[in-house]
Amino acid sequence: MRSFGRSCRGQGKVFVTLVRHTEQQLLEVGKDLTTLGQQAQMCLENTTTLSETQRERLREDLTTAMRHHEHIRQQSTHLTHGKKLRHCKVVNAYDPTIAPILKGKSNCPAQFGRKPGIISEPATGFIVANLTPQGNPSDASYVLPLIDKVGQATARVHHGPKRSIHSLAGDLGVNDPVVRQALHERHILSVGIPKTVEPIKPDPSAEEIRDILNEANLHRKRTPYQVQLACASGYSRPVVESHIATLLARGAGTVRYKGLEGAVVQQGMTVMSSNGAVLVRIRQRKMTKRAQKFRRLLGLKYPKVSKIN
Amino acid sequence: MGLVRYLQHWLSGIGPALQVTDFVPQSDPIRQWADTFPWNALVDAIAQSFATRFPKTSTRGRRPVPVRVLLALEVLKHALGASDEDICRQLRTDFAVMYAAGLREYRRNPSQDHFVLPTTLCEFRGRIDEALMDELIAIQAAAAMEAELVSPAHLVVDTFPCEQGSQRVTDATTLYKAQKKP
Repeated sequence: MRSFGRSCRGQGKVFVTLVRHTEQQLLEVGKDLTTLGQQAQMCLENTTTLSETQRERLREDLTTAMRHHEHIRQQSTHLTHGKKLRHCKVVNAYDPTIAPILKGKSNCPAQFGRKPGIISEPATGFIVANLTPQGNPSDASYVLPLIDKVGQATARVHHGPKRSIHSLAGDLGVNDPVVRQALHERHILSVGIPKTVEPIKPDPSAEEIRDILNEANLHRKRTPYQVQLACASGYSRPVVESHIATLLARGAGTVRYKGLEGAVVQQGMTVMSSNGAVLVRIRQRKMTKRAQKFRRLLGLKYPKVSKIN
Repeated sequence: MGLVRYLQHWLSGIGPALQVTDFVPQSDPIRQWADTFPWNALVDAIAQSFATRFPKTSTRGRRPVPVRVLLALEVLKHALGASDEDICRQLRTDFAVMYAAGLREYRRNPSQDHFVLPTTLCEFRGRIDEALMDELIAIQAAAAMEAELVSPAHLVVDTFPCEQGSQRVTDATTLYKAQKKP
């Protein structure tokens, strides 16, 4: 992962003075670029040797380059004056939708790139939906769009019992009162989202279950059994790292297609191929003891070959 | 003799088709992987989206490569970690890849159905937008839920960083860009 900023951990060094000095020189060199760009635009309009299609393409390229230059120049000036970095700092001149990841481990260089989000089943690792947003918003902002996408998937199921989300687990980044409230309004338990760094209790007592239901105001909506499963699911939340590792092994760690649209397609195709592999494992019953137990508790049937097709 | 050899395809015909399934055992990983996908629903969704966003203006021209083949190649590419060129080359020679692409018969003198150029794959990918991608994943998830293989009851959410790598400058991308420019 490419990064910049203070390097308190790792071997990387950033020579801030050198960067600032070079930046000033570059700003000085590029001072007249706006005027030159306008002149180039006028020349382009007056040229008679180009066809209309070529002219249109060149005009579009020139406008894009000018816009990017203006954005980069503006943020460089702000940085030189010691102002705080804005959220949408351009780090790639060819793709302004890439932004630094603001939250992360402390005392580490800020990473920049994209930040896809996934929502998956903890037992098997099946990814029900994914989201590749523009820029790098906070983790909490991923939750509701992902829940909506899961809702779209469950709405497509026409046979069997009605599927719904009972609980959602996440890390401290998702811990947001607004998100919790929104989840409760959708009858989703948020007990799997921790409030502190302490691990979630996997086997709550009857009183604790009652408190959880009272806090979420889901007394008649969710059963104590579902709360127990939600707690177990929240306790084993770190398993999501293995789901992410599976995606990274399939090349999701580096976006090779161009722009945000390309990133969406690449992440989506990676998720689909990963899901195919998960379904093969389920059919062959190559699952961990924990996953098998979780499936039993959820009342899932044993897989039947050629059921989907 | 030379003339007979030259015309032997016309004289003797192209012969019986080879059944791809005969060469790909059921235990083959790619076959098992391909059998998990609800291909018909996925292809229908893509065809519907393309018909709306890219309506055909003419019925002339060569028959298009089936969407089923292109979609399978695109997904399989990520499963195998292959490039566009690699996966298109494998489609010509690898029976398991042919099976995954939905081709069930192979003829020595084929109707070019299974010849896919990397540029075609690139163009197909460019037509997929976010809404369609979400729909495809939703269809796959719905099929798995309907078969009771997975349940959305308890879910876990997380994010991960990924960097923007440089786009591979290959013959396919260069040709595609050259063709796009007037």
